[in-house]
Amino acid sequence: MYELLLAGIANILQLKYLLPLFVGTLVGVIGGALPGVTIALTIIVVLPFTFGLDPLQGLAAMTGVYVGGSAGGLITACLLGIPGTPSAIATTFDGFPMARNGEPGRAMWLGIWASFFGGLLGGVFLIGATAPLAAIALEFGPWEFFSLFVFALSMVAGLTGASLTKGLLSGAIGLVITVMGNDPVMGAARLTLGIGFLEGGIPFLPVLIGVFAFAQIMTDIEKMRAIGTVGIAERIPTLVVSQLRVIGEIFSRPFLLLWTSFIGLLVGVLPAIGGSAANMMAYDQAKKLSRHPERFGTGTPEGIIASESANNANVGGSLVTIMAFGIPGDIVTAVMLGAMTIHGIQSGPLFISQQPKLAYGIFAAYLVAHVLMVIIIAFSARPMLRLTTVPKSMLIPIVLVLCVIGAYSLNNTMSIVYVLLVFGVMGYALVKFGFPLAPLILGVVLGDQIEINMIRAIMTDSDPWLFFTRPISGGLLAASVVSVAFALWQHHRQRKRGAPADGDTDF
Amino acid sequence: MGRDGIAGLVCLAASLGLLAATRGLPDASLLVPVGPGFYPRIVLGITAALSALLVATDIWSRRRRTPVAAEPPIPANYLLVVLAFAIVGLYVALLPFVGYRLATFGFVAALQVTLEPPRNWKGWLAVAATAFLTTIVTYFVFERYLSVLLPRGRWTDF
Repeated sequence: MYELLLAGIANILQLKYLLPLFVGTLVGVIGGALPGVTIALTIIVVLPFTFGLDPLQGLAAMTGVYVGGSAGGLITACLLGIPGTPSAIATTFDGFPMARNGEPGRAMWLGIWASFFGGLLGGVFLIGATAPLAAIALEFGPWEFFSLFVFALSMVAGLTGASLTKGLLSGAIGLVITVMGNDPVMGAARLTLGIGFLEGGIPFLPVLIGVFAFAQIMTDIEKMRAIGTVGIAERIPTLVVSQLRVIGEIFSRPFLLLWTSFIGLLVGVLPAIGGSAANMMAYDQAKKLSRHPERFGTGTPEGIIASESANNANVGGSLVTIMAFGIPGDIVTAVMLGAMTIHGIQSGPLFISQQPKLAYGIFAAYLVAHVLMVIIIAFSARPMLRLTTVPKSMLIPIVLVLCVIGAYSLNNTMSIVYVLLVFGVMGYALVKFGFPLAPLILGVVLGDQIEINMIRAIMTDSDPWLFFTRPISGGLLAASVVSVAFALWQHHRQRKRGAPADGDTDF
Repeated sequence: MGRDGIAGLVCLAASLGLLAATRGLPDASLLVPVGPGFYPRIVLGITAALSALLVATDIWSRRRRTPVAAEPPIPANYLLVVLAFAIVGLYVALLPFVGYRLATFGFVAALQVTLEPPRNWKGWLAVAATAFLTTIVTYFVFERYLSVLLPRGRWTDF
């Protein structure tokens, strides 16, 4: 394993891989730092640029975006009090007060190094756990895969959004999208509505880009002319601090670093929850475990360390799920899965054994991206603050052009662009009606696999009870029921507390 | 009926319509125990059931809910959203006729002007520069470097 990892690192340090990784990390940091631009939107923008690259170059660029984006949000969170991404919300609670107390450099560097060390701990897990988990998944038959995908979908549907019914319905709509086109066994055209190009089915990338990018962009447009632009601080004091002191501050709290990184990892491994929840959960844990919880919110280093280590460890966890099981835990990994599909790579349990060079290349890219992230933020934090003044009216058309190119370049036909537009309208409508989009995306990504594994299972043995009586399959289906029951209980508890039943949906 | 009820009804109608469309699908053959309509019917059945549940929940919760003073909502500029969708739609419609370069230049300029109308000549210059640079940079990166054959215009051959 270590030989493969060292070979992967040596490989990724070649200019042809290092350059896309660096550019990806830089774009990720910029996207992460820009309030209102999420990591998912950034990776969608980067996607079309990766089509012409070789698979490892493209995936290195995307890994860079993911790592850079997860850390980039801390710049504006600490220096402006505005989280660049939802995964940096908790960083704002203590990062900004610390900066206002005259220590902006300490706040930012605590965040950078906590991201770095949290990310590396995530990397240790990623490298150590992917192969064993994939080996377990190799023992799975179609019953187990069917149940695993159902479990992932039920978990996403239950845990995202304010309404369980809407979450489940959103996932079901995703599954409906995948049944359009020729059926996988007999090749009969299904639900094509008389449209010729639908016979090949609806590819999931234009659906993903349309639903997600349009929903976010149009929601931003709604608020335009109603809110002001982000103001940058008149004068940012020096960001220079003693790096040894900052690193010492982090290592003087080893339990905090390990525990919050573990929370980030766990949240990353479980589909659906994502970095935005990881940083809040880690912050909450740090506060509960602290001897001085009253200091939280006033600029305590623990708050920054907890939030930032968790959100970067989360990236490692998400990558494990996609590489071992082929299940994207969030929109970012869904786009990565799409990019792999375009390059003809099948993600899942066989990935690491069939494509070891690529798998260890991704591990290496993940590790090197953390080093690049530190260097990029160290040199570009100040200019990046200037970027926050770029008006949305300028960014939005550019992002939309890249979305159109991203869809068009999948097969160089306009029909895919029409699909993009249709799903763009649908995505915005779903958001306006309060539907979470993550279950829909996961439904679209997993729909084909759910159907194929179900049919394979029935073709192998027509006894439907096998789904319940085979231990792993039955356990996963039971876990699906438990996750739905948990979501029901959670919603019931929220309603009792007086929280609104319907809320704005996000990822 | 609230927005959940309306959404539920739309989904219910769509799923029932699609469920009806699966009627013509062939049944199981000797080789395959399940036909092409088997899985879609399950999925559409679940979708219909969940949609009906959403409608029922909306009606039920409206009966039980006591009116509370709502916070004033943040005003949403829906006209701008409609205009933005219309411009994107027009862009996509015109792409095969006028070609990528002209359509993209027009689209980027038009959307910028719609989202934030320029107040002086500097603003107009920024709009034109952004539209021009976006078109040129994306064209060269994708067409020349990444070998993506961007749409040529049927009317313009450009």
